[in-house]
Amino acid sequence: MTRLSRRLVHCCAAVALAAAFARPCIAQAAPRLPGELVWTIGYDPKTFDPAKVDDQESEMVRYLTAGVLLRFNRLTQKVEPELAQSWSLSEDGKMVTFKLRPNLKFSDGSSLAAQDAAWSIRRVLDPATASPVAEEFLSPAGVRVETPGASTVIVHLPQRVIGIGKVFDEIAIEPANHPSEARVTSGPFVLADYRRSQYVRLRRNPSFSSAAGAGPALAAGVRLDILENPEQETRLFERGEYDLIQNLAPDYFELLKSRDLSSVRDLGPSLNTEQMWFNQFPLAPIPAWEKAWFSNRAFRVAVSQAIHRDDLARIAYLGHATPAYGFISPADAAWHDASLTAPRTDVAAAKAGLARAGFHWHGSHLEDASGHPVRFSILTNEGNAARQKMATLIQQDLAALGIDVTVVALDFPALIERLMHTQDYEACLLGLENVDPDPNAMMNLWLSSSPNHQWDPSEKTPATLWEAEIDREMNLQASTRVDSERKRAVDRVQEIVADEQPFIYLVYPNVLVAISPRLQGVRPAVLAPSLVWNVQDLRLAEAR
Amino acid sequence: MRPALSAAKWLARTLAIVLFVLVGSTLLVRFAPGYLSDAREMDARYGDAARVELSAEAARSHSLPHLLAVEVYGWAHGDAGLSRQYGVPVSALLAPRLAVTGGLLLRSLPLAWALALLASLASSAIRNRSLALLWQGPAALLLAVPTAAMATVCLLAGSGGPVLVMALLLAARDFKFLHHALRKAWLDPHLLHARAQGLRAHRLMAAHILPSLAPQLAALASLSLVTALSALVPVEVIFNVPGLGQLAWNAALNRDLPVLLAVTMIMALAVTLAGMLSGRQDAQGEAQQEVWRSA
Amino acid sequence: MRLKLVAAFLLAAVILASAIIVARPGASYSRQDRSSLLAGASLRHPAGTDALGRDRLVRVAAALLLSLVGAFLASALTTSIAAGMGTLAAFAPRPIGALCLLGCDVFLALPWMFLLMMVRSALPLSASPLSSAAITFLVLAALGWPACARAVHRGALNLRRADWMLHARASGLRGIQLVRCVTPNLIPLLLPQFLVSIPAFVIAEANLGAIGLGIGEPLPSWGGMLLELDNSAMLFATRWVYFPVALLVLVLLLLEAVAPSDLEA
Repeated sequence: MTRLSRRLVHCCAAVALAAAFARPCIAQAAPRLPGELVWTIGYDPKTFDPAKVDDQESEMVRYLTAGVLLRFNRLTQKVEPELAQSWSLSEDGKMVTFKLRPNLKFSDGSSLAAQDAAWSIRRVLDPATASPVAEEFLSPAGVRVETPGASTVIVHLPQRVIGIGKVFDEIAIEPANHPSEARVTSGPFVLADYRRSQYVRLRRNPSFSSAAGAGPALAAGVRLDILENPEQETRLFERGEYDLIQNLAPDYFELLKSRDLSSVRDLGPSLNTEQMWFNQFPLAPIPAWEKAWFSNRAFRVAVSQAIHRDDLARIAYLGHATPAYGFISPADAAWHDASLTAPRTDVAAAKAGLARAGFHWHGSHLEDASGHPVRFSILTNEGNAARQKMATLIQQDLAALGIDVTVVALDFPALIERLMHTQDYEACLLGLENVDPDPNAMMNLWLSSSPNHQWDPSEKTPATLWEAEIDREMNLQASTRVDSERKRAVDRVQEIVADEQPFIYLVYPNVLVAISPRLQGVRPAVLAPSLVWNVQDLRLAEAR
Repeated sequence: MRPALSAAKWLARTLAIVLFVLVGSTLLVRFAPGYLSDAREMDARYGDAARVELSAEAARSHSLPHLLAVEVYGWAHGDAGLSRQYGVPVSALLAPRLAVTGGLLLRSLPLAWALALLASLASSAIRNRSLALLWQGPAALLLAVPTAAMATVCLLAGSGGPVLVMALLLAARDFKFLHHALRKAWLDPHLLHARAQGLRAHRLMAAHILPSLAPQLAALASLSLVTALSALVPVEVIFNVPGLGQLAWNAALNRDLPVLLAVTMIMALAVTLAGMLSGRQDAQGEAQQEVWRSA
Repeated sequence: MRLKLVAAFLLAAVILASAIIVARPGASYSRQDRSSLLAGASLRHPAGTDALGRDRLVRVAAALLLSLVGAFLASALTTSIAAGMGTLAAFAPRPIGALCLLGCDVFLALPWMFLLMMVRSALPLSASPLSSAAITFLVLAALGWPACARAVHRGALNLRRADWMLHARASGLRGIQLVRCVTPNLIPLLLPQFLVSIPAFVIAEANLGAIGLGIGEPLPSWGGMLLELDNSAMLFATRWVYFPVALLVLVLLLLEAVAPSDLEA
């Protein structure tokens, strides 16, 4: 054997050795404990303190660990007593009385009394806690909490709050004076272990019993893997490492469906909307003539009429979306106005409308009355494939009107800076996630004075008559005690929005989920958390 | 005297780099779009909380010298400041991740060099040009396929992980350089002469080519470390490896200045260290030359 | 020599064919045929259609012209900068050389992604996709050189110390003449850098789509098509998704074969 070939053999051996090191690496973050449910969350929860939750993943942990007085049932969409045995609201809506269930215990075995509930509510209301939930009491400073007995809690509100029951769904009851960041809870699970960027592990709270009288949660624990990559999530789901996927992208839905039809489900339209809007902020750093187009109703309606929403749903969402014409999804049957007459797809009508509004065509290009060619950019966020496809489809739809559109995708902070701070954009395509079917939750969007009034934020006085009318109707529905009056006011707002098109609604994306055949007890709901809202009833079938 | 002087020089150089990188990165991050915005501002429920945090950050980062002073104070304090996205000391975030990333590099770099060296030795030993496709094809393929796609292939195949993908990525690049360097070395006049006299290829390789290429190989090693550092982010993000690259990426998306500064510093030190190690060859050569000149 | 001719001919043929496909009357890289999405090969669409029903062949051809030319030029530029800086650092007086290297090290460590974001925010949002693409490649070229410059510096340093170089300098070669001697000897370092940069820039351009730079819709981006490969749902939907990567490999191999080789010296 020559020296070189001997060396080559050595090299090969070294490579083989190194390759052995290199081999196994795509495994889940930790092995599954017996009886543990596993799914993913997108990023590290910002906090485990239930009173300070201000992001979605922290909210997921709070949902799984917190014991609450009332639970908003995601399936029936009704408020049900949880730690409370019963609850009542006074005639004027200003006094809420809870009667606690007997023999309640925290996860460390100590007993749960009215003092603990009162302390937890007061902690949320305390400005020093800076709890986002406090805002939902409208004027938290004026709220008083009393404990007339060991099992009775009374909350006095300075003013009536629409849907006050749901607010208590977000207040975790913790041991008085011992906030523990989910280490001691009165809910189905307790925080057991947290590895940053890897997983959050929860174990069953042995002292928990649900309102229905059943004992502790059926699953021994929950592991939430922190994973943002849908490709890996899908593969690991297929391999049985994950038990469910709650927000499946349409293409992966189709992929899983082609492998195993039984594991995926399309739950129909969600409460969420995808919409496009034009920047109507008077001081925006864009040319004056563009502002003139964007605040022109005829222009917005023509754009809306030119968009083929059926194509958006069929192509960008592979059919797993429903064309949208208003802000309340058909999934929200109580508030959706089915008789709404929004402008439908009609390119000829769009052209006629533009011509009436003083626009004209120079060759195939659209120009406004003063000869400026009509072109603008649509801003959207990076990382949402369906949204980017929609923008490209709209680009072609608007090219049919002679409008030249560029599509720009930015990362979220840069996008938000333009939307919320510099107002330096022309049009934007984004979605809105609705967690609450009650339109009262959308006050921030519709009130003209709100910073979330996207097309023209923080108006001092309503800029137009129709915005003033929306303000009036929204305030009316928030204060009236008559349900039919509320419904009428909200219907009127839907009409105005459909008529004026400040938001051009595109689709309601469907709720797409994947459920492992081993997982038992799932009752999928459209409202988030759609698969795990009844987490105490979920368990894995015994392995054969 | 001389070692002390060169150590002082190296220290001064490293300090200069740290200073420039500190100021440069702070400027870049602070004035990047979106430094004072937060995705939660769009959410009606969490918008107010986000705005409170942002105004605190705006006050903190109002003046650049102040911001720099805060960061330097954090470093002097030993915890490298407080992470903006997680609210914990940066040092606590870095420590476990350093080990993960170090492990990934330690396993993938030698594998990459072994693969590249083997392939380029074979390619220069076998001189049939139509067989070149055997090495050039896979190398071109590895260069052309994005990291994310390689990760998908690994997932679909159910084997291979970050170390393998990283090693292949680097091996393809290193191979390109080694292949050309070796081909050039074969053409040196004294080697042509030796080959004409009938010396065997492997003897030449071991006795002449590899030693004469040593400085260049050292330079390539530091080049491939730089490539490895830049490949860390995609590989760790795609494979969900809890290392420095993933941390840097999350920090970039959240404009987390303290974390970004810490990661950038580590990268800068790694690059300088690699440069210094590969530079020792030159220093020796230089010293010899100077001795020769003064004689 | 014959191989090189054949490769050059093939490369020219690929580019010519792309030009013809794009310029063919009726061909459009942006027209969406919404009734045939992700279709297979047919007479109308010889390489099928993409997820929005656009003709894949025309898109690949246009992307080849756009991305390849962009990446080729950017790569040439970045290699030249690296060569210039590396040689300068090796041949200039020592303080200047040390300063150059210090600059390289600082440059390597800075988080340039934020500069790219600033570039994006300085551009008007409605900048045409073509100008945004041109700026992207320019910035990539301006940022890609330092790693290679270090390696070039080492090579050039060795050259400076070579006996023949001492001889040449002693006999009065200066400036341009010296550079003409040095450059051919740096080719083993520069050529691979050039070849490696091309696919790297093609992919980098696509990744920059994430911060609003790069080749914007509806222009086809080769990198964008390569990134489709990371979606397994797409991989199972159509085999034609591999077409761009196969073509890129072919082009890279042809470039490698055409590149000035030192074997013929």
